Amino acid sequence: MATTTYLSNPTVTVNSVDITDQCTAATLTKVVEALENTAFGATARTYTGGLQNNELTLTLYNSFAASETYATLNGLVGTGTTVTIKPTGSAVSATNPLFTLTLTYLETLPVINATLGELDTIDITFTGGTYSVSTTP
Amino acid sequence: MTKYIIQSSRIGKIGDQFIPTDGTNIEALIEGGFISTATETKSSKVKSEPKE
Repeated sequence: MATTTYLSNPTVTVNSVDITDQCTAATLTKVVEALENTAFGATARTYTGGLQNNELTLTLYNSFAASETYATLNGLVGTGTTVTIKPTGSAVSATNPLFTLTLTYLETLPVINATLGELDTIDITFTGGTYSVSTTP
Repeated sequence: MTKYIIQSSRIGKIGDQFIPTDGTNIEALIEGGFISTATETKSSKVKSEPKE
């Protein structure tokens, strides 16, 4: 049994807008591209770190009301922005760090994703940007 | 200098000044109605020359 767990309930901001109450899933992935540096004489491939290529994917309820999902994201397509996420809504601390992607890029926005009898939800992906972690409020 | 005023509780207290952090897309926030601009006006008072 895991000794320490936490119930998923992150706080998410996109371009300074708190979008937590529209969000149902979030995955932040820290990526450092692998550059192969294997040479003759090696018996196994080896790699060294290249550029960061981080990624944040979000699942959001879609809404066209004022200050909601569409209003938040529409102007961000094709541009860079800053997104933040922390594990819980509590204050930032060593056990509740704030993760930030600065100047991350939103390439696509599904404007409508309608299915009969279901709420409209969209999946978006922010790519790139500088990854940082803060543990102080 | 342009000041930004918060218009939505999703980014802070409505009416407060919005101070963008690094990487904030201001145009998108204005377009989405989250903030508005408030251009600071300079005083029309003309300073008189100091008396010698």
